[in-house]
Amino acid sequence: MVQRSAGKGAAITVEHLSKSYGDTMAVRDVSFEVQQGEVFALLGPNGAGKTTTVEILEGFRPRSGGTVRTLGVDPADHSTQRWLRTRIGVVLQELAIEPYYSVRQVLTRNAGYYPNPRPIDEVIELIGLREKADERIKKLSGGQQRRLDVGLGIIGNPELLFLDEPTTGLDPAGRRDTWDLIQRLSSAGTTVLLTTHYMDEVEALAHRVAVLFGQEIVASGTPSSIGGRDLGAVTIRFRLPEGVALDELPIAVELAPDDHVVVHTEDELRVLHALTGWALDGGHALAGLSVLRESLEDVYLGLTRSEP
Amino acid sequence: MIDGAGAREVPEKGSFRGMSDLPLVARQVRFEQLSFWLNPIGALMTIAFSVVFLILLGATAGTSTVSSYGHIKLIDYYVAGFCGYGVMAACFTILAITLVNRREMGLLKRLRLSPLPTWMAMAAILVNAMIVATLGVILLLVVGRLGYSVHGPAHWLPFIVTLIVAMLCYSALGLGMSTLVPNADAAGPMVSLTFFILVALSGLWFPIAPGSGLATFADYFPIRHLIDALVASFTGQPGTPLWPWRDLGVMAIWGVAGVFVGLRRWSWSPKRG
Repeated sequence: MVQRSAGKGAAITVEHLSKSYGDTMAVRDVSFEVQQGEVFALLGPNGAGKTTTVEILEGFRPRSGGTVRTLGVDPADHSTQRWLRTRIGVVLQELAIEPYYSVRQVLTRNAGYYPNPRPIDEVIELIGLREKADERIKKLSGGQQRRLDVGLGIIGNPELLFLDEPTTGLDPAGRRDTWDLIQRLSSAGTTVLLTTHYMDEVEALAHRVAVLFGQEIVASGTPSSIGGRDLGAVTIRFRLPEGVALDELPIAVELAPDDHVVVHTEDELRVLHALTGWALDGGHALAGLSVLRESLEDVYLGLTRSEP
Repeated sequence: MIDGAGAREVPEKGSFRGMSDLPLVARQVRFEQLSFWLNPIGALMTIAFSVVFLILLGATAGTSTVSSYGHIKLIDYYVAGFCGYGVMAACFTILAITLVNRREMGLLKRLRLSPLPTWMAMAAILVNAMIVATLGVILLLVVGRLGYSVHGPAHWLPFIVTLIVAMLCYSALGLGMSTLVPNADAAGPMVSLTFFILVALSGLWFPIAPGSGLATFADYFPIRHLIDALVASFTGQPGTPLWPWRDLGVMAIWGVAGVFVGLRRWSWSPKRG
């Protein structure tokens, strides 16, 4: 079989997308692009417009304005919707599986909807339910049902996979297994549009991320650079050496309640040079020395706390 | 290693591919049937309820007759009547509750996002309900013949046509009813209450005198017309036309109304009202 080629044009193009329900704006002037083979994360608090945006891209909901292309077609065009749906996979925010089927039965049924489905046993293996393949779905744990939900999303061998909070309800091992699966799908060229509230998930999976707040995109970029994260201040911490007073240090510092010394600076290279040079010259230990950049969560909270 | 599907193709247009779609419909019907029988208690309740009623009431019917239906035997009336009851249970009650539950569980949304065309999914649900209703009718006829020596129907073709029209009518009403139910918790009570009110108006539990106020009121609803049409073709009672056009017409009008309400209020997303 052929591996998909990544990075060959846009899988999704969104330009000035808007959606309103009566007088209420759900999405306002949203624009972004997702390249083929990319994992793109859409972040935002509840009610920010993530699910509405995703539903418009899937062709589930009509838009009020703007231009959208999903795999090169307008998802609202009914004449190409059947074609489009054979090429996308969807994992919904909430579990949606019939309780009486077995794992194998429901996967077999859904595989029949697609022209080029993945083999059933391969999917069962990928989602880690080999031992439960013939078990009724109602007897599976919540985490196992969630993994089956992901399996239903990939059974059609999609070019583009929409994952709406796919690891909610999973235990840590289940989350890591799902991350591993998403990374393998991405490596094979599957484009993934992910919404999640877990920042570690974004850092582990996403090539790029956009933050929706107040129905519009307030920041976008790579997880390491979004919101100026790579350029912002860092926090340097270390334990104050024994017998040294604060004013003996070569830089201005603050004393934290846990007896650590804290320095906030945007010029970490010069500060570290001064500090380590002083320690080496004086024979002082800088126990617990750490340099912390603002976390993705800090950036996210900063972007979504204030009024847009 | 996970493999992909290759280069992007030119989008294919249209959601109907003619005869090549039929195997997919048949396959979907098979899975609907599987889903129905995998819940044996639910399946039993749907099919056996009318049979149990027939056995209980048949045991007390003796040689009684129904004067308002040209003195036909009461047991004949029950067999034909419970065929209508079974159709309504399968096509109205079960279909409405199933659609509400699927909508509220997000199953309809998932279905909508799959490549299976909407018409195919709905056709499979409808055919499944009709299969269940047909099995119920066959079981009632067998019980009537073996248990009570009831030899019917007298006129097979009108009887079968009436059943088909009734299945379509009550499926349409089930579709419409499902859109009026705000959430899964309300589905059972709301649909069952409607069902029992309609059955009470049918005269199945107690005969309604023709020309009475209640009979006039009941004539506006489709259930009494179903029972009348089935009883007439089942017993071949003298003085009734071979084809119950008026009864079929009233059911058809109600069916159109059900489809109209269903399409106007349809939602693929959970309402959770």
